[in-house]
Amino acid sequence: MTDAPHTMNRRQLIRHSAWFGAAVGLAVVGGEVISHVAGTADAARVQGRPTLRFAQVSDSHIGFTGKANSNVASSFSEAIDRINNLGYTPDFVIHTGDLTHLATPDQFDQVKQLMTGLRTPHVFTVPGEHDSVDDAGQKYRSVFGAGTRGDGWYSFDIAGVHVIALVNTLNLKKLGHLGADQLDFVAKDVAALPSDTPIIVFSHIPLFAMYPDWGWGTDDAAQALSYLRRFSSVTCLNGHVHQVFSKTEGNVTFYSGTTTAYPLPHPGDGPAPKPVTLPAAQLHDALGIREVSYTKGQNALALKERTLQ
Amino acid sequence: MNFAKIITRIGIAVTLAASGISHAYLYIHGYQHIPTIGTAFLVQASVSLALAALILVGGPAWLQWAAAMLAGGSLVAFGLSRTVGLFGFSEHGWQPSPHAVLSLVAELLTVGLCAVYLVEGRRVRSSPQIAMSELSTGNASVG
Repeated sequence: MTDAPHTMNRRQLIRHSAWFGAAVGLAVVGGEVISHVAGTADAARVQGRPTLRFAQVSDSHIGFTGKANSNVASSFSEAIDRINNLGYTPDFVIHTGDLTHLATPDQFDQVKQLMTGLRTPHVFTVPGEHDSVDDAGQKYRSVFGAGTRGDGWYSFDIAGVHVIALVNTLNLKKLGHLGADQLDFVAKDVAALPSDTPIIVFSHIPLFAMYPDWGWGTDDAAQALSYLRRFSSVTCLNGHVHQVFSKTEGNVTFYSGTTTAYPLPHPGDGPAPKPVTLPAAQLHDALGIREVSYTKGQNALALKERTLQ
Repeated sequence: MNFAKIITRIGIAVTLAASGISHAYLYIHGYQHIPTIGTAFLVQASVSLALAALILVGGPAWLQWAAAMLAGGSLVAFGLSRTVGLFGFSEHGWQPSPHAVLSLVAELLTVGLCAVYLVEGRRVRSSPQIAMSELSTGNASVG
């Protein structure tokens, strides 16, 4: 080794070690400073049991019979088992639409029956466009519409969090649409809330422009979101796109959830969002549920994606 | 060390810091809550800023290698997040704007400037005449 052309002497070794140590030290200090600015130091102090824990399941498409998933009922049952085995009882479960594939009475009966297996005090739903294919959502509302307003929208408060369920799948043209009545509902619904109230909004179609060419957006969402700009924490959860996706715009964070039925292509992959057929062994990796938790004192919610594998 | 080399070194530090600041901003403004991606943004930001500071004050050449690998890795991660996804995280196009573009340009410049700096360093070492000339003018660096 002493004959090697680039042998490092002791002084050089000490010098390089000093530079390396400085790099590590500065990186650690920098990370600490950034974490502190981001408020994670405060978050660490309030760790413990979250104030609110719930699960999101989406796009079960009960009644679908394509080769992308020959047994969507079985996949949905597995998703329910996954939620029932999280190790705790979620405060509630939300289904962000497309409960059925063709909105037939049998399919609504089947999905309702399956969801009775969820071990949680409350199940909340919003319709997808597949749940209102021929009747503007009447059959959906007859099964899941109890206690809702207008065409199925509603809100509730739980553990200091205000939750708003929006319907953007009726009056569809290309993009999702909320409509004047629902926008008016949102404006009045949040008018009296203090600005530090955490807000959770869930809908079927994304409230952000995820890929408008495929209809993955809501044409009048900007107005609804304008009513929520003053709140320090707004989290929007949606289904429809059959894949995990997230985006932050100012105080609003959007999270698209995956499906329990079949995957769709990534935005722009191919001419249209047609079901993707995966090898059987890979299908369950693409399907899943989402855990969401909120801890008082933290601005943002924590999410965990769980596959059905 | 000649003037061009100093300018290149400052350029590397500035572009690296720009990428780090951009990642730190996104981390503070929401990305901290995205599983795995949040941690990756924090590490990218803190290591970028640390390397930028040390390169600026004249550290050894391996810092430039580390900077190039960090910037290159960030570019790969950016590409994955726009295509097949990264740890279940994907984004579309140039969102979040303008940070996606800022980071991308800064990282491309970092890689390019590091390549210039390191290639030039090798050329000087492999050319006895240039090396002697730098020694005689007191511009040769150690380490």
